[in-house]
Amino acid sequence: MTAAAAVVLDNEAIQALGTATHPKHRRTLSFIDAVNQRNQRRRTPISVFVPVAVRVEAGWDRTAPESSLVNRLARARDVVQNGAAADRAARLRVAAEVSVVDATVAQAAEASPSPTVILTSDVADMRRLAALLDGGAQVVRI
Amino acid sequence: MATREVELFRWLDRLDRDDESIVTSVRQPAALREALRVAVDLGMDATVNDATVRALRDRLETFAQRMALESHYSQHPEARPSLAEVALAAAELDDNPLSQEPALLRRAADEVVAVKPDASADDVLVWAAALHSVRAS
Repeated sequence: MTAAAAVVLDNEAIQALGTATHPKHRRTLSFIDAVNQRNQRRRTPISVFVPVAVRVEAGWDRTAPESSLVNRLARARDVVQNGAAADRAARLRVAAEVSVVDATVAQAAEASPSPTVILTSDVADMRRLAALLDGGAQVVRI
Repeated sequence: MATREVELFRWLDRLDRDDESIVTSVRQPAALREALRVAVDLGMDATVNDATVRALRDRLETFAQRMALESHYSQHPEARPSLAEVALAAAELDDNPLSQEPALLRRAADEVVAVKPDASADDVLVWAAALHSVRAS
């Protein structure tokens, strides 16, 4: 048991956070609220990350007016992939037989401060991926 | 959201897109400055400037996020997670075995606010761990 240092959001976590009527809105908010409470008390800061491929999949354009809710609630920082990161994601995708976006989530988790938590609705695929990561990652269902 | 709050988010959102920086003078305790220098030598951050900017940014982001959460909860009260739900989320983030005991977390949340009305999710986890320990003994 270790306190998380980073949280990586997947597509549905973004959708749930950005839509007040989404059935998982309140549950996803509970994680963001927990992160915020801890950061207020200045324990080891927890950062929230979103791979840019996930933003594309989720249609999260930070400059769009309809993104203002998720922009403000998540305060997530973009994870931009360079060539080496793309190579790693490609290997993960082949090894775990998952989608391109899921592989980028896993690569982003691996590159984030550890211990890392992946918030996802796709627990099975993400657990398969997490088992392949250096340092692993905790997979939590929203 | 009020104009000043919108302005705060606009500036924060520019942090990742904008390389513009300014030189500023900040009055700070001499001991803080020296402690920062030593901490940077010990590997806390690359430079004193990086450490200062990072600490300030983290504090601003947390403040702004709390404001956004409270504003959202006031508009959508049904979206506000209970203290027990936030404690459950905190336990899941930590892979804490208490995440498997939502009933115990609900009880702990009920009890802890009786003695600490502004209890946090981590306060609930400590209380729940104590309840768990008593139960096991």
